[in-house]
Amino acid sequence: MVRGAGRGGRGMPGRGGMGRPPFNRPRVLMLRPPFDLILAEPAFPRCKPAPDDSALTQALLKRHAELCPTPAEQSAVLSLVTKLQTVLDNLVVAPGDFAACQLEEVRQVGSYKKGTMMAGKNVADIVVIMKTLPTKEAVEGLSNKVNEELNKLMRAEGAGSVSCGCHERGFTVTSSGAASAAVRVLVTTLHQNLRKLEPEVHLDYKVISSHLAAIRHSRWFEENAHHSSIKVLIRLLRDMCARHSGLEPLTPWMIDLLAHHCIMNNPARQALPINVAFRRALSLVAGGLFLPGCAGLPDPCEAAHARAHTALDLAAQDAAAATAQTLLRVVARGGHRYVLGLQAFEGGKDISTEITVWDGVVVSPLAPAYQETPEPMDTDDKDDEGVQDGVAA
Amino acid sequence: MMAANNYFGFTHGGTQYGAATAGAAYGGQTGYAVAPAATAATYGTQRAAATGYDTAYQAAAATQAAAHAHAHAAVAAASAYDASKSAYYQQAAAAYPAAAPPQPQPTYDAAAAKPAYSTPATYTQNTIVVQGGARAGGGAKAYGGVYTHTHSHTATTAAASYPAQPYTAPAAQPPKQSANRGNTAYDTALYNAATMYVAQQNKTGGGGGWKNYNKGGVGAGQQRRPKPPPKAQQLHYCDVCRISCAGPQTYKEHLEGQKHKKKEAAVKLAAAGGGAGGAGGGGGAGRAGGGAALRCELCDVTCTGADAYAAHVRGIKHQKVVKLHTMLGKPIPSTEPTKLGGAKKTVAGTPKIAFVASGGLSTVASTSTKEQKPPQGDKDKEGDEKEDEGETEPEVQPVGQDYIEEIRGDDGKALSFNCKLCDCKFNDPNAKEMHMKGRRHRLQYKKKVQPDLEVKVKPSMHQRKLAEAKAQRLLVRDEIWARRRMHEGMEEEERGYWEGGMEPWWPRGPLPPHHHHHHHGMGVPYGPVGRRPETSDDRHVVAKHAEIYPPEQQLQDIQRVVSHTEKALKSLSDALADHARPKAQAGNKAQNDKKDDKPEGKEDGRDNQLFSFVGEGEAAAGGAEGAAAAAAGAGTAGTAGTAGTAAAAGGPRALKGVMRVGLLAKGLLLRGDRDVRLVVLCHDRPTVTLLKRVATDLPAHLAKVKAPGDDTKYKVELLPAEGAVQVSDGSINVLVSLTSAVMREPAEGGDIKRDDKDVLPRQKCLDALAALRHAKWFQARAASLQSCVIIIRIMRDLCRRIPNWTPLNPYAMELLVSGVMQSAGAALSPGEALRRVMEAVGGGLLLDHGPGLRDPCEKELVDALGNLPPQKREDLTASAQQFLRQIAFRQIHKVLDMEPLPKLKHATGGWKFPRKRRRSNTDTEGDQPNGEGKVVKTEEKMDASENSAKK
Repeated sequence: MVRGAGRGGRGMPGRGGMGRPPFNRPRVLMLRPPFDLILAEPAFPRCKPAPDDSALTQALLKRHAELCPTPAEQSAVLSLVTKLQTVLDNLVVAPGDFAACQLEEVRQVGSYKKGTMMAGKNVADIVVIMKTLPTKEAVEGLSNKVNEELNKLMRAEGAGSVSCGCHERGFTVTSSGAASAAVRVLVTTLHQNLRKLEPEVHLDYKVISSHLAAIRHSRWFEENAHHSSIKVLIRLLRDMCARHSGLEPLTPWMIDLLAHHCIMNNPARQALPINVAFRRALSLVAGGLFLPGCAGLPDPCEAAHARAHTALDLAAQDAAAATAQTLLRVVARGGHRYVLGLQAFEGGKDISTEITVWDGVVVSPLAPAYQETPEPMDTDDKDDEGVQDGVAA
Repeated sequence: MMAANNYFGFTHGGTQYGAATAGAAYGGQTGYAVAPAATAATYGTQRAAATGYDTAYQAAAATQAAAHAHAHAAVAAASAYDASKSAYYQQAAAAYPAAAPPQPQPTYDAAAAKPAYSTPATYTQNTIVVQGGARAGGGAKAYGGVYTHTHSHTATTAAASYPAQPYTAPAAQPPKQSANRGNTAYDTALYNAATMYVAQQNKTGGGGGWKNYNKGGVGAGQQRRPKPPPKAQQLHYCDVCRISCAGPQTYKEHLEGQKHKKKEAAVKLAAAGGGAGGAGGGGGAGRAGGGAALRCELCDVTCTGADAYAAHVRGIKHQKVVKLHTMLGKPIPSTEPTKLGGAKKTVAGTPKIAFVASGGLSTVASTSTKEQKPPQGDKDKEGDEKEDEGETEPEVQPVGQDYIEEIRGDDGKALSFNCKLCDCKFNDPNAKEMHMKGRRHRLQYKKKVQPDLEVKVKPSMHQRKLAEAKAQRLLVRDEIWARRRMHEGMEEEERGYWEGGMEPWWPRGPLPPHHHHHHHGMGVPYGPVGRRPETSDDRHVVAKHAEIYPPEQQLQDIQRVVSHTEKALKSLSDALADHARPKAQAGNKAQNDKKDDKPEGKEDGRDNQLFSFVGEGEAAAGGAEGAAAAAAGAGTAGTAGTAGTAAAAGGPRALKGVMRVGLLAKGLLLRGDRDVRLVVLCHDRPTVTLLKRVATDLPAHLAKVKAPGDDTKYKVELLPAEGAVQVSDGSINVLVSLTSAVMREPAEGGDIKRDDKDVLPRQKCLDALAALRHAKWFQARAASLQSCVIIIRIMRDLCRRIPNWTPLNPYAMELLVSGVMQSAGAALSPGEALRRVMEAVGGGLLLDHGPGLRDPCEKELVDALGNLPPQKREDLTASAQQFLRQIAFRQIHKVLDMEPLPKLKHATGGWKFPRKRRRSNTDTEGDQPNGEGKVVKTEEKMDASENSAKK
């Protein structure tokens, strides 16, 4: 009777987030964590004096200070987020004549929420959970409504104006104040609606579920990774990854997990000093933490045994490992200032791809190992489609 | 009455029939209509046939007493006609029996019969289909007509399910009564009744009409009046039918026509039976749309809702009537609709509107008969009550305005509308409005935009079936999950299978000690180590290992040479001891010799432990010395050695014992290795003199220990710089180093000075001692680790092959590998072990800031790799990093420098295929992925129906 009642043979667009059927993830149990010197300490007791790492520590702290957003930036984004939150909360509580969509909940996520924002990237993230299904029209409607309300609010305060622009994740509210700030409103929907999504009508399934994942990530972060050393390390790693092409594909969520692992995961359960943790992060990635066949970092926000790094494709995994390997050797030779970005390397070249000489010791980059082979050479990770964390910034 | 009672009672029970008091016939029909409540929606159409049958039956059996009673009741009810025309229209079927006693009935038949046979093809065809399925027994033929007829109706409707039950019931019934009536007459009557509808069908034609027909129920076809004349030059107005005719001829024809007559009769009846309005109303209610209807007095048209009414008023038909009435100067009733409780005559408007108030289609209750509710489905009741109380249908809020885009013409005027949700177009704004309130649109909206939107749905048989199926599937799924949990262990195996797709690793034999690796932090333990399959990496490593492992012949040769050397050394030691011993001890010596010949004595150092030369006769002293030697070997007590020396002061042997060290002791020999080492422990500092003595005497002793037929020529070479002699048989070289535990003591003043020049180089002696300790350490710690020896052999090969790895000295490499294995916390398969070694080195373990490799054989903190220059460390690390990535990306053969092994196919077949079969046989697990997909897919549909069922 209803035309188009059949759902078509498309099946589910994906299956993240909803308790995966166990048969799709058969391997992970067998995988092994990589060699981790901190955990393997009993087997390798230190038999020579520890190197003087104060230079590295100083450099790390200095760089971190540079990476922290300025108070002006912070206040700009804070005021925008607060206003936007007010507007959205109003829409949740009293939608009034607003009928484009119904909102269930509004949550702050991402680096703003986690307190890991970086200087110069003044973008906060807010996830809006719709009770209705997130059609493109609904997003547009919400965007227009928010724009209108927000501008009303701004006018009342006499604080500039905002503009909204839609994209495939939701829309971005940009304020044009003295210190510019932006808030990305990421649209998602209730869990039970996920399977009702249709590619041509609604936002992409992956995007929607990544926004839900972002909420989980923020919650996990709040509960587990509030130690400030972790945040420091996150900023440093994020900055380092952004400046080296091989590490660029690492998602913020992977970096969060890596930083947490490096700082907190040690026999004493006490936060490690930043220099040790930084070396450890490099050494772990160089040691194949994010390579296929490695247990990697279990994703605490996904169903059991999901690995964080499987969102990377194989070439990216190879590149990330190779880059970290080169950087590790550069740092070992005292090149941390370049790695951290305190000093530009030969006019902004990527140090991880250059042959460098340190006190007569030649450090050379490595060739990629991954090759496209006719037969699938790594069936291990074929079926892992990790939910990608869309929340960057 | 009895017959009728019987007849109806068959379908819905006598009580129900009895409840439908006054209008017995109609009431009966009512009950009949409702009885299969589940099929209410589709049933609406079939009722037509049912009533047709009824009519025919009554006509045929008119002579019978029972039928008389029935007919009588019908007449009584028929008075309602006059009172209310509306009753007539909906009650077309009812009208027939009402009209039956007078003449109209025959006319009917005559009129209807003609078109009936104009479509014989469909008749027979359908008969076959339906008969085949549903019926049995006697009445089959007689009912064929009826069946086909109804079938042809349903075929045109959207309703898919065709409830056969109500028809089989009467089908089975007639045989009981057939004695009372002629079969032929009955047949004819049936055909007449049936064909009447076919005629209507032919008349009305278009799909829209049919929808109307279905919705409106019986007799909708007749409501179709001829089109109003385009122009009324000379008005021939029929007051009854409210039409004008083009000319006198047509007017006359009209007046004579069946339609007009029918109407006229109905009007008369209605007028006459004003008092019986209740009955008529009751009957009428049977057809009523249930929803509060709006009536256009002018056109005598009832609309289901305000929208439909509005559409009607705007419609051309209404306009024409208005025009006509205006022309005639007749009073035009206000355009305000008359609200009707339940009865509706016509459904006007577009087909889409029909979806709006679809709830009432199958209902029977009306305002007038509400108190005496006929039995019916609960949902229908509720729906009815709600609607009745509300009088007007609760206004449906249009939804999804955003999703309807206007397609504008050049002048900016909206030309048409396109609903993106439903993918349909309208030209008319009204149609758009209608659509937005329509059920289909709402369903789409619910599905695509707002899942919790309430959409009224008719619970159809189909949906109910789906709901049941869903419940059942849920049950089944639960069971499967439960079963799967039981089979958790099996699942582990599955995982193992997928992990490597290879045969099990260490298939039988004791499981390795079960450690849990405690992964701190995330709290996700890395699964237990159980039986593992052999991965491709493992196979490569094992294959490489087999390649580098020394052949049996080589091992035997080495064994033989070493054994001879050891025996010769023992013999030499004895000779030296004899020589040095005072004569007084000669007897003792003889005793010793006897004992030495006894077979229980150790032949040589085959077990890689110290082969003591000390005879049992020297027990006390020798034992102490042995202990001292062992202590020295373990590197724990240089002083113990002194104690031993002191204890053996009586008659110390110069050569106390020999031990295999290095590759031989550790079992790390590779193919092509020819050099092995023995260390001879001396009582005192080994001197050059002693060494020379050994070198000169050894060949004789070697010849002595040789087997009779053995003609191996041993060459003994003195290497004073090495502090050793080398025994060689041409291919195998055995380096025999002389050392003593005493050498560890710091040079203490004058005591040693005496023979300083004569003593062998100190460093060499210390190295030999260290080699002794390393061999002991290796046997105690490394050899017991899973995969460790294999990996060390592989790494030895690697170090031999690759220049970057050559600087890594063997002992450091052994320490590294054993440390890596040990830190894994669990047994590793060879492939994993190799990868882990690469991870460790690649992760910067050997770099400058690393912890270094602590030598466990030294008391002080000594880095076994302390002397490695930075560039070498760098190269080593870089090489390991590259290897690591190659291993990760399935290129382990490059690391091992071998041909890639083909994928295992046949080798694993025995293991793999039964497994597969098992999975598909049990079909709980094997088929699950597919099954689940289906479940998921249907679930979505189910959801819709379930949600709506709730509402």
